Amino acid sequence: MILLKHIHKKFKNNHVLKGIDLEVSKGDVVTIIGPSGSGKTTLLRCVNYLEKPDEGIISINDLTIQTKKPVKKDILQLRRRTAMVFQHYNLFENKTVLENVTEGLIIAQKKSKKMAREIGVDILTKVGLADKINAYPQQLSGGQKQRVGIARALALNPDVLLFDEPTSALDPEMVGEVLEIIREIASGGVTMMIVTHEIDFACEVSNRVVFMDDGQIIEQGPPDDILIHPKQERTRKFLKRIMKEPDFTI
Amino acid sequence: MPIINFEFAIQEIPAVLKGVPITLAIAVVAMVFGLIFGLLIALCRIYRVPILNRLFIIYISFIRGTPLLVQLYVFFYGVPVLLDKMNQSFGTAYNADHISPLLYAFIAFTINVSAYQAEIMRASLNAVQIGQMEAAHSVGMTTFQALKRIVLPQAFLVALPNLGNTFIGLIKATSLAFAVKVVEVMALAKIIANDGYHFLEMYLVAALIYWLICWLLEVLFTFVEEKMRNKEIKQKKMNTTISKDLPLRV
Ligand SMILES: Nc1ncnc2c1ncn2[C@@H]1O[C@H](COP(=O)(O)OP(=O)(O)OP(=O)(O)O)[C@@H](O)[C@H]1O
Ligand SMILES: [Mg+2]
Repeated sequence: MILLKHIHKKFKNNHVLKGIDLEVSKGDVVTIIGPSGSGKTTLLRCVNYLEKPDEGIISINDLTIQTKKPVKKDILQLRRRTAMVFQHYNLFENKTVLENVTEGLIIAQKKSKKMAREIGVDILTKVGLADKINAYPQQLSGGQKQRVGIARALALNPDVLLFDEPTSALDPEMVGEVLEIIREIASGGVTMMIVTHEIDFACEVSNRVVFMDDGQIIEQGPPDDILIHPKQERTRKFLKRIMKEPDFTI
Repeated sequence: MPIINFEFAIQEIPAVLKGVPITLAIAVVAMVFGLIFGLLIALCRIYRVPILNRLFIIYISFIRGTPLLVQLYVFFYGVPVLLDKMNQSFGTAYNADHISPLLYAFIAFTINVSAYQAEIMRASLNAVQIGQMEAAHSVGMTTFQALKRIVLPQAFLVALPNLGNTFIGLIKATSLAFAVKVVEVMALAKIIANDGYHFLEMYLVAALIYWLICWLLEVLFTFVEEKMRNKEIKQKKMNTTISKDLPLRV
């Protein structure tokens, strides 16, 4: 279980997260939606400490981090229990597709090379990239890159998988292949937090939707409640605006 | 009697060539240690290590803002004075006369080159996308592991052309080492020239030798760069068929 308590984050004078409380249970698929600049990315990055929160508590199962006085060892632990799929893939450019997946297994998790390779090949096969394991990232299409990104994160078998707008940098024709994989993972019982603008997708895969605005969680609940019958005026306005935009891709 | 005594020049070439190992030794030692220190300095600057960052800003500014010849002299005449002072204060008996001129040259050239390498490595490290470090952190690597395995290999690739130029510059700069009594190519040319007042001949011989070394190095660097570029092109060609396979089950 993941517990965020009273998370605050400021960039200089810009108060980006204003006391976020969020609970994610094992197997939950939580989508976070909200207007641009509302702090969705920042929140996700705080969960694996790519961004250091100014205040608050992050805990994953038995690991608890007081963000005011974090222990270095705990931060590393937190990172090893979470995995991130980035909007712009961030694949290791100097490593092959397979190495991208096995680096974390070998270096951070201290698995044997043989075992890491087995896991890597297995997962890359599942995301449809068995024939690309020796390619370098610059040889891949956007959709393929993001599939590697997902494979890399999934291979680590994290307590929670974090997605930051995983399809928003893709050409429209490649969105489907990536969403399909995320759908598969979600149905496999992996705990996930997904930031996305794909409302239909959010509705379909998640069991909880969190609406954020201005650094706060405005409301949260099952997808139907939030996306179809929102209680808060701000949520309604946001959804109305997003639905109106024709031809909307994440 | 001709203006240039070619016979004498050709006859003395082997004698001057005897200085090449020393010339190369200074360049290689300064290059290797300069790169190590330069990298450490660059990291201190990028991570804004308190005190050291400021110290190194001054260090780099001073080294790059003063002529190498002056630095050599300051070092050569400064160290014995310091040793004297130390001997007086602490009752030790270090004798500056026992320090080989070559050691002065090694250290002075290393210090000089490290300042330039620091700036090259800083720029190259900054050229590597921040996302690479973040991705490495996200799979659970420590900052050290991330630098070693992901960021530095990419930074070196960026730095390579600049490092090549630095090395060629360094070869030429070693001709100043004669000023601190190191017997390298330039010093040998000078000594032989002094014997029979064949200054022009011997300096032409020295020029030819430097030219030859630098030319060979440039051929070598071009070859290495070409090889890396070819690899990139080959990778792009292989990429003409982008598989559109639908992902399999995860
Ligand atoms: N590294 C940073 N330095 C300074 N300000 C930042 C930084 N990262 C984010 N911000 C600011 O924090 C605020 C929230 O940004 P964030 O990226 O979390 O929003 P978001 O909800 O993900 O928006 P989007 O939907 O556009 O991705 C913005 O005002 C942004 O300018
Ligand atoms: Mg964002």
